[in-house]
Amino acid sequence: MFRVPLAKAISLGSPKRVANIAVRASASAASTPAKAPERIEVFVDDIPVQVLPGTTVLQAAAMVGVEIPRFCYHERLAVAGNCRMCLVEVEKSPKPVAACAMPVMKGWRIKTNSDLTKKAREGVMEFLLMNHPLDCPICDQGGECDLQDQAMAFGSDRSRFTDINFTGKRAVEDKDIGPLVKTIMTRCIHCTRCIRFASEIAGVDDLGTTGRGNDMQVGTYVEKLFLTELSGNVIDLCPVGALTNKPYSFVARPWEIRKIDSIDVMDAIGSNIIVSTRTGEVLRILPRENEEVNEEWLADKGRFACDGLKRQRLIAPMLRTPSGELQAVEWESTLIAVAKAVRKAPKGSVVAIAGSMADVEAMVATKDLLNRIGSEIVCTEQSLPTQGSGSDLRSNYLLNSSIQALEEADVVLLVGTNPRYEAPLLNTRLRKSYVHNELELALIGPKVDLSYKYQHLGDGAELINQISTGTHPFAQKLKNAKKPAIILGSEMLARPDGAGILATLQSFANKISKPEWNAFNVLHQNASQVGALDVGYRPGVETALKAQPKVVFLLGADAGIVTREKLPKDCFVVYIGHHGDAGATIADAVLPGAAYTEKQATYVNTEGRSQQTLCAVNPPGLAREDWKIIRALSEVVGEPLPYDTLDELRERVEDIAPHLVQHGKLETNSFATLAEQLAKDKKIDNSKITVRQQTLKDYFMTDPISRASPTMAKCIAAVKKQEAKAH
Amino acid sequence: MATITRILAKDVSAFWPRAFFSTSNAVFTSSREAPLKDPSAVIAKPEEVEQKKKLSGVITVPTKVDISPITGVPEEHVKTRRVRIYMPAKNAMQSGTNNLNYWKIDFDNRERWENPLMGWCSTGDPLSNMQVEFNSKDEAIDFCEKNGWRWFVESLPAPKKEKPKSYGINFSFNKRTRVSTK
Repeated sequence: MFRVPLAKAISLGSPKRVANIAVRASASAASTPAKAPERIEVFVDDIPVQVLPGTTVLQAAAMVGVEIPRFCYHERLAVAGNCRMCLVEVEKSPKPVAACAMPVMKGWRIKTNSDLTKKAREGVMEFLLMNHPLDCPICDQGGECDLQDQAMAFGSDRSRFTDINFTGKRAVEDKDIGPLVKTIMTRCIHCTRCIRFASEIAGVDDLGTTGRGNDMQVGTYVEKLFLTELSGNVIDLCPVGALTNKPYSFVARPWEIRKIDSIDVMDAIGSNIIVSTRTGEVLRILPRENEEVNEEWLADKGRFACDGLKRQRLIAPMLRTPSGELQAVEWESTLIAVAKAVRKAPKGSVVAIAGSMADVEAMVATKDLLNRIGSEIVCTEQSLPTQGSGSDLRSNYLLNSSIQALEEADVVLLVGTNPRYEAPLLNTRLRKSYVHNELELALIGPKVDLSYKYQHLGDGAELINQISTGTHPFAQKLKNAKKPAIILGSEMLARPDGAGILATLQSFANKISKPEWNAFNVLHQNASQVGALDVGYRPGVETALKAQPKVVFLLGADAGIVTREKLPKDCFVVYIGHHGDAGATIADAVLPGAAYTEKQATYVNTEGRSQQTLCAVNPPGLAREDWKIIRALSEVVGEPLPYDTLDELRERVEDIAPHLVQHGKLETNSFATLAEQLAKDKKIDNSKITVRQQTLKDYFMTDPISRASPTMAKCIAAVKKQEAKAH
Repeated sequence: MATITRILAKDVSAFWPRAFFSTSNAVFTSSREAPLKDPSAVIAKPEEVEQKKKLSGVITVPTKVDISPITGVPEEHVKTRRVRIYMPAKNAMQSGTNNLNYWKIDFDNRERWENPLMGWCSTGDPLSNMQVEFNSKDEAIDFCEKNGWRWFVESLPAPKKEKPKSYGINFSFNKRTRVSTK
């Protein structure tokens, strides 16, 4: 019954509807916007609902707010239809139908609460519980387990399982699939969500089933680790406690923890997250649903690097003693020492450099302070060519197509980027489009595994010229595409010929762009970068280093781009940040700041969407929120900043760029053609294009938090061990 | 004489049981008698009538009230707090959505620590455990304004696109949606 193809199943209805479907099919082949198909009416518990043809019973019920219990069905994965929990009664149907797989027909009356439905659910539940261990008290899923919840509703209060002394309950050996996901395979109910996630979303066909019936097992076939940059999501997907969070195992119960919505800053996607805390400690991080940004996934670095927030922290202000050691001192003396250095410095010799995790508020406060003492030089670590319009026009440095719309792209050219590790959740979008929209991709850069097939054009920079002049065959495909996109990696912009690459690709993108569709995209890696450029920071540290600074403020600049050797000997380095990393080691004064889970702060993601983190826990020790440090310092310097509260500071931010306080909204920008006119230099070297993160082991440690995380260290060790193996 | 009758009538109406009164009233109306009137209402001064009318219905106050001076909430917890009005997100670990769809308020996070005596979580913030649910955003805003808290509303994420799911695409021979592993 369920294997009847959609068109065939629907052709049972009226001929008019068949014609409609046929029109739709041809339209999608030509990929022109199809006319909205006629809706059909069905009744869910006697509530009428109009649905698109092909909608499943489960989806139709969801539209009127009736939730049908399910285990295997997940709206972002393919329909499997194997758990049978979603069986419902349909009037005039001889037997219950699986709601997740069955498309509705006109006039169907679906009964989600009838006796037959309940009996079906109870039967399925009894079979599931027969082979499920009764270990809820020691199970990490306890309290947020779908099986537990649904057993409360549909489970029987007594067992008919009497075979306990003879064959016993099913027991399955646990698998070792890596340092992030713990498996207790006896609990598995074979919903195959993890398998579908791995093969569809992550693009790693590692998981699968062996055996049939009672002997069915989910595993990796051969002994290997399930290592992808998205492996943590199978923990969320697992409806029981078969796959649980290894670093979080036996740590807390869901009713003990407090949940605070926040934003991930490990990459420039700005994934929405929920931070779970207890007693001022971040215990785990879960994704939060946002269709426009991360759907409901989260990359492993964002999820598991949170234990780095407890290590290597700067918890007290420090000053470097004459002997060269950093010594913990009081806030007062540190601020006075910094203020002295700032006051002593001649005009224009105080600079600030913002690192990868600096928030907008701190950057604005720093810029205001520096401007007040007569300095204009505020920079970011990551560079962007400043020739032409540089960072003046937003379209030069944004992912203009927007993350969600990239799903609709039909031809994509990746230049000098490895989205799989630079922005895993953008890569899932591309993969989704590859699977469902027949997206065609090509890459200029090192040959890497992107989890989908693509055309590797080569790694020479001259290919960019060939594309832009149209001599390369792929250029033709881009020109003929309905929604083409070019994604330029941020590392390309730091090259000496970055301006040329940017200008060449931008002018080519303008040629192939359509109305309402900007094909030019820059993929950043730093969460702070777009925000910094939006508030007027200069990209790249060259100007700052050239100015022979006397005082340098490092706002969490930990990438190791600024070193002691590059600075003048008598330069006073002030580090404001949360981790003792590259920045703090060269500092003369360390002002301990707050990490992203400890402050309410604004971050702008690579598509230009401003979002805010919320304070989940308080900064440890004497650490304070970054903007407050700057505010306090301004008082000591003698140039007090005119804001005392976050609201007042946000008003100031609004004066600079109003979109930054419109949290959650995407501001469109349109100066792409202007940017092309302003761009002069189109020279590109014939050098090789390379990216920093090429394999999985390069992915795990890229910023001060993940470098301090023991879980991330374990991941790298596991990947190395896996690589050493034969298969 | 007039005063005496007045007093008498008033006393009678107050003293007589209601049941008796109503039956007699019904009898009167059926026999086309004039309806009985409350003498105190008849003789009341116009301003008294006005006052009574005002008190009988719901009193609407045109301006917004700030109840913070009389709630007893310390000034520190009125002036320095920032309230976030939001809709709780779905738990990523579970597929149920039945307990969502309401608005909630949260205060800015204050320090929490592990209590050295029992290892429990302690806080000095009395408002951090206040769980209030609202049916709509506006109700939550009104509540915050009434209590004198500064508030901001978290914008809702964009609604999901309606996209029919199909079991058939797992088996399509010429599409990339074909399922390989199972």
